[in-house]
Order: sequence, then C-alpha cells, then structure tokens
Amino acid sequence: MIDSKKTTKPKILITGASSAISRLVAGALSPKYDLVGVDPRPAPRDSHFPGEFVVADYHSRRLDEVFQKYQFEAVMHLGRIRESQKYSSQYRFQMNVIGTQKLLELCKQNQVKNLIVLSTYHVYGANRLNALQLTEESPLRASQSFPELVDAVELDHAATTFMWKNREIRTTVLRPTNVIGKHIRNTICSLLRSGLCPKIFGFDPLMQFIDEKDLARALILALEQPQAGVFNVAGEGVIAYSHAIRHANAVIVPLPPFISSGLVRLVAEISKMNLPPYLMEFFKYPTIINDDAFRLKFGYQPKVKTVQSLKNLGTPADRRSLIAQANLDESV
Amino acid sequence: MLKRLLMETDFEKLKNLVSKVEDLEIMEIPGFDDRLSRLPVDLNSAGFDRWGLHPESLRRFAPFMYILYKKYFRVEATGFENIPDGRVLYIGNHGGQIPLDAMMVGLSLLLESEPPRIARAMVERWVPTVPFVSSLFTRIGAMIGDPNNCRELLQHDQSVLVFPEGARGSGKLYKDRYQLQRFGTGFMRLALESNAPIVPVAVIGTEETYPSIHNFKQLAKLLGAPYFPITPFFPLFGPLGLVPLPSKITVRFGKPIYFEGKENEPEELIREKVQKVKEALQSEINAGLEIRGDKIFSGAAK
Repeated sequence: MIDSKKTTKPKILITGASSAISRLVAGALSPKYDLVGVDPRPAPRDSHFPGEFVVADYHSRRLDEVFQKYQFEAVMHLGRIRESQKYSSQYRFQMNVIGTQKLLELCKQNQVKNLIVLSTYHVYGANRLNALQLTEESPLRASQSFPELVDAVELDHAATTFMWKNREIRTTVLRPTNVIGKHIRNTICSLLRSGLCPKIFGFDPLMQFIDEKDLARALILALEQPQAGVFNVAGEGVIAYSHAIRHANAVIVPLPPFISSGLVRLVAEISKMNLPPYLMEFFKYPTIINDDAFRLKFGYQPKVKTVQSLKNLGTPADRRSLIAQANLDESV
Repeated sequence: MLKRLLMETDFEKLKNLVSKVEDLEIMEIPGFDDRLSRLPVDLNSAGFDRWGLHPESLRRFAPFMYILYKKYFRVEATGFENIPDGRVLYIGNHGGQIPLDAMMVGLSLLLESEPPRIARAMVERWVPTVPFVSSLFTRIGAMIGDPNNCRELLQHDQSVLVFPEGARGSGKLYKDRYQLQRFGTGFMRLALESNAPIVPVAVIGTEETYPSIHNFKQLAKLLGAPYFPITPFFPLFGPLGLVPLPSKITVRFGKPIYFEGKENEPEELIREKVQKVKEALQSEINAGLEIRGDKIFSGAAK
C-alpha cells in the first residue's frame, strides 16, 4: 500500500539538507511528499534524512542529473551558506550566487511549479537610517557597509528577479530574522549558547528571534499555499539584545564602540568565537523586520514565545549530547 | 536673565529639593503602576511592545523623571480634555537644545492625562549613533523621524509627537525663542493619509533652560551633530554648564484640528494646511507666554 502511494506522492527537492532547518522541514513533509535532499556537505551522522540524500555542489553537473531523474513539483532552496570564518567569501559567492543561479535555471528547464527560497533579514543591513519596522520594500543596505554580505544580497536579488521574470513558477522568497533553536548552529545561536556574548558598550539594539519550529512551519505554509512574493518572517516580537543575552543565561562581554573589523577578527581568532565583523553593526543598530504581509497572506502565527525559545537554547554541551543521541525532535 | 534667576529663586525650596533628591531611592509615585498598566500597549513575552517600548524601563526611570517633571521644572499641563481618543498627531514647538520639551509632553500624558497616554516622539536621525541615549529613547517609545515609522504608528492607532521644525527649532538661539521656524510638511501628508487629527501642543519654558548665544557650526559638523550650542554656562563651566536652568515649564494642549484631503496633494495645498497648524500653535504659545508674563522661573500656567 505504501509503495503504490509512494509513486503518486509529489516530489520535492530540498537544498542544504544537512542543516537543522531542512531536516525539521523534511521531517514534517515526509509523510506527504517524496523528498530528495542535496547538500555539498555529507549527511550528518546525528539524523537520518527522510528521503534520498545527494552530496553535490549546487553549481555542479550532478544537480542536472538529479533534476532529470525526478520530476520535482517543488524546490525548497534552504541551503544558503552562512557568513562565518569557516568559509571564504569566494566559496560563499560560488555556492550562494553561482549555485543559486544554476538551481533557478534548472527549475525553469524542468518546469518546477513551486519554488521557495530562504534568504535572510541580513540583506537589509544594520543602519542607523533604517526605519524601525522594515517592510519588504525597504532598501537592501547590507552590501553598502559590508561587502562580506554581498553574496546574501545577490542570492536574494537572483531569486526576486527570477520571480518577476518567470511568473509561471510560483516563487516565494522568505527573509527570516535571527533563527534560534536547540538544533541551530548559526552565529547568533552559537554566541548565545556559548555563555559569552559580545555587546557594544552603550548600544543595546532591539532584535527579533524566530524559533526553528516557527520557521519550519512558515516554510511549510509557503509550500502548501503557494503565493508568489517576497516576505519577511519574524517571531513573536522584539527584545533588547541585553535582555536576550540574559534570557539565554549568557554573560555580556563589552566591546568598545569604535572597534575596527581587524580587531574584531583578532578577538574572534583569540577567543575562538565565531564573530564576523558585519555582526558588530547588528549589535549597534536595530534591524527589525515587519512580517505583517506574511501573516496576512499565509495565516502565519508564531507559536513559540521568544523568551521560551531563548531559554531552551541550552549549552554547547547540550548540543553535543543532542548530536550523540541523534534525537532531532521532528514534531513541527 | 541671571539676575531674574537669583531674584526668583527660593533658597529654602532648593534645600528641600536637595533632600528630596536624596530620598529618590525610596520614592514611590502615587498610582504610577496603575497608570502604567492602563497604557494602551500590547506587550510580548519579553515585555516589549511592537516598537520597542518597555514599560519596565519606564518604571525604573520613573522616580528620576518624576523629580524632573514635578520638582525641577514644576510642569503644569493644561488642555487634556482637547485630546481625542485613538490616533493623534501632536505637533509641538521645539526649543532648548535638548529634547526636554518632548520629554515633558510625554511625561504630562503619562502622569496626568486621563486615560494615561503614551506619545511616541520622532527623533533626529543621528540619535541612533549616540551611546546609551539610543537605547534609552527606544525603551521609552521614541524612534527616528522616518515617515514609515510615523505611518506605521498612526495606522496602529498610536499617538505620535512630531516637532516639524526639527533641529531648526531646537538649535535656535535664545534671541529667537518662541518664534516658530520653518515647518517640514511631511507630517501633514501623513496626517491626511491616516486620517489623524492634529493636536497643537505648546511648550513654554524650555527655551530658557539652555539659552544658546551661539551655534558652533564647525564643531557640530565635526561631531556629526546638527548643532553645537554655546550658552553662558556651557562649555565655560564644563559639565556643570550642562545642568539646565530651572525655568518653569508649562504644556498646553490645543484644540484638535481635522483636515480633509489627499496625501498626494500638490505641495502648495499642503503648505496652506501646515500654515494653519503653525498659526494655531503660535497662538497657543502666545497665550501661554502671556499668562506666564516675565516670571520665567516662577510664572503661573493658568
């Protein structure tokens, strides 16, 4: 019975399949869809991807073969390589910009019906001129002050341009705020979890956080009621950075207000903290996104309270044991 | 002016004031918690509202603000009955170098109006770059004067406090006090767009707190600030010169003005409407000045 059903189930490609978000989404989608995961990194040991897993770069020939083998109904491009010292900016450009362009081209060639691209709120950039609530129409100032973020802006730009040019493919671009959760390993999560959070002396900007489960839910909403468009996705509400640190049981490490990027890199090198210099601007000026449009059109409502989500981050040891036990909680 | 200050100062009262400041820690403002809880704000699990207002911070700063409001500037506010319910755009006269006027208008609404209200002040675009001030302002409901911010607030039935003169008003010299400078017109388009009534609010007394005799433009430019005032006490007496003179402040809320029209009207029509607001505000100021007479530090408000 399962086998006969399996052939009629729609097929979905998920990129970045090794990431926590992809696995949360895949876990929730697997009963209804046939999933194929692709990631340049090997499959994580801690969790089984519910479907076929392909190790491939997004701009490689390997991806052509995958598209030919399966007729994908939908593609979820969740595999943006985040900004960190681990990857060079050339590598990120190659993967995020060239890779995305290739993926979009393949979607077009293979008549994919529905495309979801996970961008980031970082594209707006932290700037003193930002309105307190940034809508989807707000200017993308990120690459103005930090060329490191150019690949994120380009990815977003490639996806939105694709959306306008190819109206037959319903493209939804989501720009989530800081994603946090016990499975997430991004910069802000690692900092909050590490117990030591750099904060610029005299500045305490407002921030937003979205729980991993809420983001997974948002992605599934975007898949199941497809509407073309660019949408901000935020969590419950705003919180001052110092309060977020307190709720995550971390300690503030004050940094001088006029710290150069070189010095930030040095501090990061010595302390072994993942501390990209562009983040300093986000610790200075608020970058608050307005997700009213997404809530209205998709009926999205975040379920996890920000404070709860910060409290549940756990410690680095908790995360390690999480990996050891291979108990990714998949109930979204 | 200095002579007047000495003449009108009641030294017994001043001694009392000092002892009261010492009791700051244990001071409780009658009914303040109740007023805070009755504010029309929607808080999230972290205690912040949508725009970063944090009532818990308000509570923490309350004793300090209360002393400043009640004891130091002895603020008297009138005309609360003129304020309509729902969204309101307060248009005030700006003066006195630092936004004491915004603070006093905000405090009068928080401490004295019935029901208690919160006015979101639109501040200069360079404020986010000032350490401590930037986060403090956000916690108490202020934000940069971006049209998008103002529009968002009005559409959510919040009330917004705008000083259309901007830095032209606050940075002006003592000799130009209580003369309205050129008004920006953006607020009128926003009021028309969101159908918000305009309440002129005149603040009397802030112009005397820092009597600026010269604007050191070159230094201001160097600091990235809109102006740099030289007063008889600052920078001559160093940090001591930063203490505002204790003039008596009165806040007068005028009758609401309702406008009809479209936000994309040609600039001439908008300017005519702005002129009406300006005239209403100037007459409110003049009325206040007349009542105060020349008793800058002890004058009456009613």
